[in-house]
Amino acid sequence: MTLKKRFLRVTNFLFAALLAVQLLPDSISGEVYTEYLVWFAIGLEALVLVVSTLAKKEKSLNLFLDIIGFVYGFLTVWTLLTNKFDILNKALFPPMGKVFWQAVQDSDKIFVNIGSSLGIIAQGYFIALAVAIPLGLFLGWNARVGGAATYISKFFGSIPPIVYIPYGIALLPTFRSVSVFVIFLATFWPVLASTMSGVVNVEKKITDSAKVLNVNKRTMLFSVILPASVPQIFIGCNQGLSVSFILLTSAEMIGAQSGMGYYVKQYSDFGDYTRTIVGLLVIGVVVTLVALLVNKLQSYLLRWKR
Amino acid sequence: MGKIEIKNLTVEYTEKKNKFKALDDVTFTVEDGEFVSIIGSSGCGKSTLLSILEGINFPSSGSVTIDGKPITGTGTDRGVVFQHYSLFPWMTARNNVAFGIKQAKKELNKRERLALADEYLDKVGLGDFADKYPNRLSGGMQQRVAIARALAMDTDILLMDEPFGAIDAKNRVNLQKLLMRLWEGYGKRKTVVFVTHDLDEAILLSDRIILMSPGPGRVYREIRVPFERPRNIKELIRTNEYNIFHEELLSLFHGENIDEFDDDKDEVVLE
Repeated sequence: MTLKKRFLRVTNFLFAALLAVQLLPDSISGEVYTEYLVWFAIGLEALVLVVSTLAKKEKSLNLFLDIIGFVYGFLTVWTLLTNKFDILNKALFPPMGKVFWQAVQDSDKIFVNIGSSLGIIAQGYFIALAVAIPLGLFLGWNARVGGAATYISKFFGSIPPIVYIPYGIALLPTFRSVSVFVIFLATFWPVLASTMSGVVNVEKKITDSAKVLNVNKRTMLFSVILPASVPQIFIGCNQGLSVSFILLTSAEMIGAQSGMGYYVKQYSDFGDYTRTIVGLLVIGVVVTLVALLVNKLQSYLLRWKR
Repeated sequence: MGKIEIKNLTVEYTEKKNKFKALDDVTFTVEDGEFVSIIGSSGCGKSTLLSILEGINFPSSGSVTIDGKPITGTGTDRGVVFQHYSLFPWMTARNNVAFGIKQAKKELNKRERLALADEYLDKVGLGDFADKYPNRLSGGMQQRVAIARALAMDTDILLMDEPFGAIDAKNRVNLQKLLMRLWEGYGKRKTVVFVTHDLDEAILLSDRIILMSPGPGRVYREIRVPFERPRNIKELIRTNEYNIFHEELLSLFHGENIDEFDDDKDEVVLE
């Protein structure tokens, strides 16, 4: 790639535009914390320069720069609509600088809440995987029970897990245990269903090819059927994960004393929309990062399909 | 050892309450160390026959024995190469071969298995592709890996079900040469049963050809191939003797066809 392609990009101009816009006079009273927005933008631009220098593939650099360009554009428009021209409702839409300032002030609290939410999700999710995948392998492998199990798991999978909450509350002692229970169910059924369908749909040619190598049952199940089903299993895992986040944040907004949903709900109740937006952005960033991680894992485990 | 005896083999399927005979009273013997091709038009039951030898399908009546012992299921005394999907797509070429070795030779440790896998990949000319996944290999390369795996398992018997059927003409000749070199060249010759619908391939590779007729599958003729070994496929195919032999076989092939079908179905067989 040429230097021009690396460094002379629209994104860099959007960065400059964002900074330039900050020079306009503010039209609202009160603290705007423009310096926090500027520092954030400079940090982001530093990252852009590093990535632009190191990137090997033009395509992935383009994608990265497009995303960052969108962020700069969004921040610019937001700045104009809020503290510069005061077009949006002041109470509901705080200046971005103030949002960043608030995030820094609350960072300890935010990390505690992220930890609380991720802890619950991880626990419910991994217990569900640990039970559903072996069970799905076993049920899918045994054609007789497998047929019935497919319909049963479809039935239970079709019930939105949120309706189990009353039972969870009646049966379990704490908010945390109820949440783990509901996330377990939200993940268990889709993963069980996708594992079974993965096992049932392994091509006969593959199993024949293993049979003629005279493999024993154990090898057949764990070295042949399981890896052949992994692409299907991931469909259930992804579905379970996204439903888990939706469920947990909703549940936290209703009944929790910690967590990312709790953070948003607690402050929006008091009309603190700066913190509400901090909470929204944090949830967005966390979910995106987790999804990215799962995606990386998936493409590593399925590298043989490329 | 690896003498295969097939006596009065009949295979019937029940499909939607209709009984359907795939093989009817098939009898022939494959001697230890012999290369036998089974050839015939589609529907003659040649793949069914091979699946019985593989041990994934079973006779309705009659007997199939290896060195006098009936086949009761799959076994590591037989190596198999299919037309498609012999390899596991989630394993590299090396691991595919090593997986086969692990099944056949329990006494080897992992390091020895991998070393042996590399050795056989070298033999089929794929030493540089050991770390590639099957998806990244051409059809011909995939069949080379499958052959490497079957040979590395060091079985007495090799069962090949149209292994080069999906390979383009030029690569097919290369694979045939490779198979001949490996089969003729290293130590004791294995017993090979090779299913094909390509007459040239059958003549060039085999000691004996078993011509089958369809509906239900029967042995139509057994023909001994008179050419000396080791064979040079490239030169053999240009000789007069080869052409005469090929002509004779082709007319037999036609004969088999006319017995069973109308004239207008002739071209199906000739391809």
